[in-house]
Amino acid sequence: MTYLSHRIIFLLAINLAFAGLLHAAPKRHVIENNNVRMVIIPRTAQQMAAFYEGREFPKEAINATDEACFFTVGIHNKSRNILWLNTNNWDLNTSSDSLSLLSREYWTMRWKELNIPQRFQSTFRWTLLPSQLDFQEDEREGGNITLARTNAPFTLTARFNTGADKKGMPINIVFNNLSCAKDKKP
Amino acid sequence: MKKILTLIIMLSFSFSLSAEIALPKGIIKITPRIAPPLSLENMDGEKFNLSIGKQRWSFVHFWASWCGPCRREMPTIQAVTQDMTKDNIDFVIVNTAESEDTVFSFLGAVAPDINSLLDRDGLVTEQWQPRGLPSTYLVDPNGKIQYVVIGGQDWEKPLYQNFLRQLSQFNANIKKK
Repeated sequence: MTYLSHRIIFLLAINLAFAGLLHAAPKRHVIENNNVRMVIIPRTAQQMAAFYEGREFPKEAINATDEACFFTVGIHNKSRNILWLNTNNWDLNTSSDSLSLLSREYWTMRWKELNIPQRFQSTFRWTLLPSQLDFQEDEREGGNITLARTNAPFTLTARFNTGADKKGMPINIVFNNLSCAKDKKP
Repeated sequence: MKKILTLIIMLSFSFSLSAEIALPKGIIKITPRIAPPLSLENMDGEKFNLSIGKQRWSFVHFWASWCGPCRREMPTIQAVTQDMTKDNIDFVIVNTAESEDTVFSFLGAVAPDINSLLDRDGLVTEQWQPRGLPSTYLVDPNGKIQYVVIGGQDWEKPLYQNFLRQLSQFNANIKKK
């Protein structure tokens, strides 16, 4: 058995967890070049609820996730340089507005307001994409990004610095026409 | 005099460690740093403390059942723990923030001989700051993290087992001195 692909945690885990919801499987967006492969999968509220209910999350926490728009992101550094992830360098724009990712601090505050036990807070944090990471050669990491629900399609521009000193040629990956996934009405 | 001798041995150990051991893919040598505290109970309720100064390496592995790569990696960790019972390395497996039921059913299915520590609230894992899950650290006999393992690996492969054996051999050399 070979172990070349290991670190896109949620692409597999969530797909397994949502096997029963495949009829609503949203579109995968994939961009790949010589340096990086990046995958974005919009997740519906039902999908996220199924995942966190499976982890015994309290109802209040599930309801809080309903308010947000989730995307599972996988990043593979295919280059021989360090690829620097910093989601503060990412832009999300609709045709008229700029959007912001919901930060880890936002979720920490939200969980405190709702008195969510620590272990669920911890699991939730691990299901988020790291906000900063120095991707090593061939490293793959994944996780969710979240933003306030919007009906408008938007463009996500992910900027990565490169090289040990961050002074290499920056890499921009642009995903056009992303939108929050919606559950099909019964 | 004894202190100076110890220092010389430690310095030569650090130097020779990085110079002589070839790194398998996914294992990164880092600037050594003191490992955070790790004091938890295992699935049988027994307390474990990652103590330093016992002249053994520690393979410290963080995992969760929802992590797909953990499912593939865990059986290979179980196999290597069984193959290396006579080597000077401790295998420390830590579940991150899941219930006992979840841990029992997951390990029962994929690696029934592994007895995991339970980081019930996830705070110990937070202190170790893994890059993601799964994550593995190799801690030297002085309690310093020397290597970080990126992603899940197939620990049954000879390349990885040989690497771990070489580490424990370095440990044996220290003991002799």
